[in-house]
Amino acid sequence: MGQIEWAMWANEQALASGLILITGGIVATAGHFTQWYFGAYSIVAGVFVCLLEYPRGKRKKGSTMERCGQKYMTAVVKLFGPLTRNYYIRAVLHLLLSVPAGFLLATILGTACLAIASGIYLLEMNSTHSQESVFLGSPLNPCSSVSPQTPACRNAWELLGGCRPRWAAVRGEQWTPIEPKPRERPHVGGTIKQPPSNPPPRPPAEARKKPSEEAEAAEGPSAGPQDNPIPVTDEIV
Amino acid sequence: MESVGGWHPGHALLQLFLCQMLGLYTGWNPVSSTSLNNTVSSSVCGSCELSCCQEFWRFLLGLCLSRASASVLNLNCSLILLPMCRTLLAYLRGSQKVPSRRTRRLLDKSRTFHITCGVTICIFSGVHVAAHLVNALNFSVNYSEDFVELNAARYRDEDPRKLLFTTVPGLTGVCMVVVLFLMITASTYAIRVSNYDIFWYTHNLFFVFYMLLMLHVSGGLLKYQTNLDTHSPGCINLNRTSSQNISLPEYFSEHFHEPFPEGFSKSEEFTQNTFVKICVEEPRFQANFPQTWLWISGPLCLYCAERLYRYIRSNKPVTIISVISHPSDVMEIRMVKENFKARPGQYIILHCPSVSALENHPFTLTMCPTETKATFGVHLKIVGDWTERFRDLLLPPPSQDSEILPFIQSRNYPKLYIDGPFGSPFEESLNYEVSLCVAGGIGVTPFASILNTLLDDWKPYKLRRLYFIWVCRDIQSFCWFADLLCVLHNKFWQENRPDYVNIQLYLSRTDGIQIIGEKYHILNSRLFIGRPRWKLLFDEIAKCNRGKTVGVFCCGPNSLSKTLHKLSNQNNSYGTRFEYNKESFS
Repeated sequence: MGQIEWAMWANEQALASGLILITGGIVATAGHFTQWYFGAYSIVAGVFVCLLEYPRGKRKKGSTMERCGQKYMTAVVKLFGPLTRNYYIRAVLHLLLSVPAGFLLATILGTACLAIASGIYLLEMNSTHSQESVFLGSPLNPCSSVSPQTPACRNAWELLGGCRPRWAAVRGEQWTPIEPKPRERPHVGGTIKQPPSNPPPRPPAEARKKPSEEAEAAEGPSAGPQDNPIPVTDEIV
Repeated sequence: MESVGGWHPGHALLQLFLCQMLGLYTGWNPVSSTSLNNTVSSSVCGSCELSCCQEFWRFLLGLCLSRASASVLNLNCSLILLPMCRTLLAYLRGSQKVPSRRTRRLLDKSRTFHITCGVTICIFSGVHVAAHLVNALNFSVNYSEDFVELNAARYRDEDPRKLLFTTVPGLTGVCMVVVLFLMITASTYAIRVSNYDIFWYTHNLFFVFYMLLMLHVSGGLLKYQTNLDTHSPGCINLNRTSSQNISLPEYFSEHFHEPFPEGFSKSEEFTQNTFVKICVEEPRFQANFPQTWLWISGPLCLYCAERLYRYIRSNKPVTIISVISHPSDVMEIRMVKENFKARPGQYIILHCPSVSALENHPFTLTMCPTETKATFGVHLKIVGDWTERFRDLLLPPPSQDSEILPFIQSRNYPKLYIDGPFGSPFEESLNYEVSLCVAGGIGVTPFASILNTLLDDWKPYKLRRLYFIWVCRDIQSFCWFADLLCVLHNKFWQENRPDYVNIQLYLSRTDGIQIIGEKYHILNSRLFIGRPRWKLLFDEIAKCNRGKTVGVFCCGPNSLSKTLHKLSNQNNSYGTRFEYNKESFS
């Protein structure tokens, strides 16, 4: 039971619920049911939910697959700031949106699905908040004065034997947009430097003199053509 | 048939065909079947003619659509379980009863087939729900006092939402839709790739879905008439106080201009010869036997039997013999287990309760047990929290203040359970005369088991030439199997088969060290820097193996797989055929 990111699942569910609401709403208004205005409301609510949930939020760890064309909606959703970033607000919003659609038979399915999505968002929020407050020591949490290792604060999954609670690793209970990484221009001229303007430093005067004297002395034996250690005669027969 | 991106068009077409046939057959059957036709007509329209009765058609359309979609759902719910019987499929793959390679390649597509069935269930559930919502409305509006037993509603104008939530079929239907919604939203590709746990845990709700399905069809909504001979459709009921209350002789004198030859005593005889009959008794209805039970009981029992067999088989823990740490975050585990047999290319599922009580992870076998040696092994790449914790349990990190050498420490390995082995397309590489195996990084593991098998004995297999191409990002990765490759190469040279295995190693990162190790001369001379040029490679292989069928196997990133698939489907001028065998991991 590692670091499950419920928010991603809730996002998929909310998107699917939006589509179901739109379908149910179309059926209700086209079929001229009694109370067809609930159908019209359901279409509007469905479209709003779809647009809000279309941009997928960034995962905490690892790369996130973007939905195609989501960068336009990301820009719009980002504008609302904390209203769309916070998952609590999203959960409450979905719950409120789903209630009116429950009065009509055609859209009752959309209500149920959107309510489930809202529940999963709340689940994500509760799990991160309870663990965060343990470590940050918030006064609201009774566990705050006790260290996290005591049984009172342990996650229920621990009882299954051996697996440590990993909710603590899930930080950040908000929707972060997926930003395109700025392309780094390769600095072509970065390593190319100007040639040195000064000549290389000369060795000190003593070092300069000595090789020339040695060169004169060494020139003697090696000057001239090949010197044979054993005299060689050219025998002509 | 060409498959594009793993989606075999053959399967989709077959599905569509079957669905349409079944749908049409069952959906339109009520129209042709007189009993339902006439019962519905008489309860809805009374004596009016069928063709001008709009409500009748709306009623019938709702019923037809719901019955048709129900038949399609029956078929798909029974078929969807079959590709998931992995032990059975592994057995079929290896048994002699499936001689044709084409049939074995169909087994490779089992996961795609499962997904197709799932999508079909999703679509037709939508149709079924919509049709039943229309029916619920119609049942409550058109409540029939004549045939009380046939009504789904309990009284006229009963709120359809009450019908939905207080009857057994309605309530189970709603629960099934909720379960299906949870399962489908968690099965999208993005969730499977990022949070496999959510997918796995929600998918296990399928059992709840099937139980609800069994209850759903036991509601007995559809009924048939048991006494058709005594109460035929459209017969005249003399006891009714409805508009059909006309005295018999007047009725006949209106419709038949022939005088009665012998008076009223002959009237009964006469009625038997005419097409209008008199109802002798009230109609009696009985609920249809739920067909769904017949459809899904077989596959469900098969699947449950297989799960039970796998559970029993995996209950005994393995004995870990050694744990070896390799460069680039790879760990090798060698173990033994009684009565464990595996073919090269198969994979197993590891379960370690000390690491996680609920998680299971699949790993390909890199070494299979043989007749002489019962050891088998897996190579794991440490990526993700499960493998990290597993590694910490098996290879404790060296502590600086401890003076005890590692191999003196008492080996307390955690208990490890394995499930499997399960089949994969890579088993087929030994059955081609020429095979091209391309591995990307840790994807070399299935081919490692093939190479180990060839090292053991290569003669029993059909394979006569193997092109082994291994692309890695990091030079150290080649050390995982460098020894194996060198030993294999030397063995084939000793046996005078130098062209059996052709090794090409590619280092895709161009900066950094470019030598594997000083003692691996064979591999260093076969090491290329940069990515392989696939078109040239394919041309070379085609030229050297004219007219043959070359099996192409790829285990690596998706982009690599797609490139190879595309190249395999292209024609070449040498008459060589490349058959691409695909493996899917997520």
